[in-house]
Amino acid sequence: MFSRILIANRGEVALRIIRACKELGIESVAVYSQADSNASYLHLADERVCIGKAPSVDSYLNIPRIIAAAEITDVEAIHPGYGFLAENAHFLEVCRDCKIEFIGPSLESMMLLGDKIRAKALAKEVDVPMAPDSEGAVESVDDALEIAEQIGYPVAIKAAAGGGGRGIRFAHNAASLKSMYTQAKTEAEIAFNDGTLFMEKCIENFRHVEVQLLGDKHGNVVHLYERDCSVQRRQQKVVEETPAPGLDPGLRDEICASAVRLAKACDYYNAGTVEFMLDDEDNFYFLEVNTRIQVEHPITEMVTGVDLVKWQLRIAAGEKLPFTQDDITTNGVAIECRINAEDPANNFRPSPGHVEAFVAPGGFGVRWDSHVYQGYNIPPTYDSLVGKLIVHQPTRAEAIAGTKRALDEFVIEPTKTTIPLCRRIMSEQKFVDAQWDTKYIEREMLGD
Amino acid sequence: MDIKEIKRLVKLMIDNDLTEMNIVDGDQKISLKRGPGEQGRVVMEPAVVQSAPVAQAIQLPAPSEPVAAEESPSSLIDVTSPMVGTFYGSPSPDTDAFVSVGDTISDSTVVCIVEAMKVMNEIKAECSGRVAEICATDAQPVEFGQVLFRLTPD
Repeated sequence: MFSRILIANRGEVALRIIRACKELGIESVAVYSQADSNASYLHLADERVCIGKAPSVDSYLNIPRIIAAAEITDVEAIHPGYGFLAENAHFLEVCRDCKIEFIGPSLESMMLLGDKIRAKALAKEVDVPMAPDSEGAVESVDDALEIAEQIGYPVAIKAAAGGGGRGIRFAHNAASLKSMYTQAKTEAEIAFNDGTLFMEKCIENFRHVEVQLLGDKHGNVVHLYERDCSVQRRQQKVVEETPAPGLDPGLRDEICASAVRLAKACDYYNAGTVEFMLDDEDNFYFLEVNTRIQVEHPITEMVTGVDLVKWQLRIAAGEKLPFTQDDITTNGVAIECRINAEDPANNFRPSPGHVEAFVAPGGFGVRWDSHVYQGYNIPPTYDSLVGKLIVHQPTRAEAIAGTKRALDEFVIEPTKTTIPLCRRIMSEQKFVDAQWDTKYIEREMLGD
Repeated sequence: MDIKEIKRLVKLMIDNDLTEMNIVDGDQKISLKRGPGEQGRVVMEPAVVQSAPVAQAIQLPAPSEPVAAEESPSSLIDVTSPMVGTFYGSPSPDTDAFVSVGDTISDSTVVCIVEAMKVMNEIKAECSGRVAEICATDAQPVEFGQVLFRLTPD
């Protein structure tokens, strides 16, 4: 096992990793920017190194500074968390060249799965279902028009180097395809330095269902079942739950098994998530693979009893998974609400600044993962996540009731948060009836 | 001023993380200074020439942790590290230090090396003045923003 690792991240995920390190007896080194210098979670790490000014490019995205910090603190490994450099193959390569273990997958599998075209080709090889698509890069507008005729409108035009809902355009007919194609290409070139595009048939009104995987360096891969992340606003998740409500058990097994097949086909190890779209006829389609730990990982931890971050550390240190697929069982229902410092009453305007009063909820089945506390200053420079409220109860109805009552216990002043939005969602009949799709919030709730 | 009083003042400085304190008390003047890696000095002088206690140097413990955002006494300018790495005060082990206390430097003066990933980066002062304190030692790990030198302004 490692004796010391560096955490190349901040906020709640940095705290999450510090906790796992402490429980495993691993010393932790936390890096921070000047905007985070007073954050109290830093004092839970064994050492702290300031790596730059507030902007991410000067700090949490700055590879030379992070590696320099790793060198002066003499760590054996780096955990990248999620976001920032977590899926940056170049960073993985630099770690490897500096003989520092990267806590995540191999370089080869990250590069393969990070290229959405290659990932789809591999998924096709192992019979993972997917939407009709361009079967490779789209070379020109004419090419795009021809492909759209074949696969049928509406179509989604996506960046091969993209991911996480970015770099996507939709076209409902030939007339709009031309300009959407050009827009997608330009955005891909700017955002991902790679203008390569592919196309897929657009699945309307789908549910987002993803499968958690854990693989070790000895070829073992297991799934830890699925999560339903359909409650989204502008393609960003707001509420996640497990199990996916109303999913036929046979279908569940099929989706999870296909995810494992894909992981094994590229010798995947450490934590990863395979994302799917589920249409209203129970057909599922491969979307993409996230080669990192995800924000919503706690709900899987609650129902399976498996600490995913501790396993990431153990796997990276070379340990074998001691459990087989049959050993993974689930218990009850877990729901997570992401609480952001945004004002739902004012178009989700960010609400950074000093948190003057703060009380977190508690009680049966409540888990609160957050770095925020009374007196904390939420910096304006980074994402607006305040924390994650996770409620674990024996049934879905109880999990919803528990979430409502926990949301009502929060005191966060004067910061504006998305707690009222989450509270509303818990009361929406369609959510209670699990009749939800990824466009529901925009369509039904924010129209007013 | 007796030793008990001096100890009280020293405790006051440590508790409030002060680096310099000057007190004039009737016909006596006491000046206390503390800094990392440097022997703190307590100097007591009579305000008027009289037979008076001899100036004594008292070792003061350094601040518990070098901090990126340490407040410096208002009169001194901080030269801080623009990168993360290992500090070296001279170009090589067997040559003289880039700068010494008392040297006058300008913004383009190379004051030290910070090594990171096997690259020796020469660090320029980016401000001018006279070197009052050298706050880092050879082979010491330094973080972004850490105070390396303090200068008295021109």
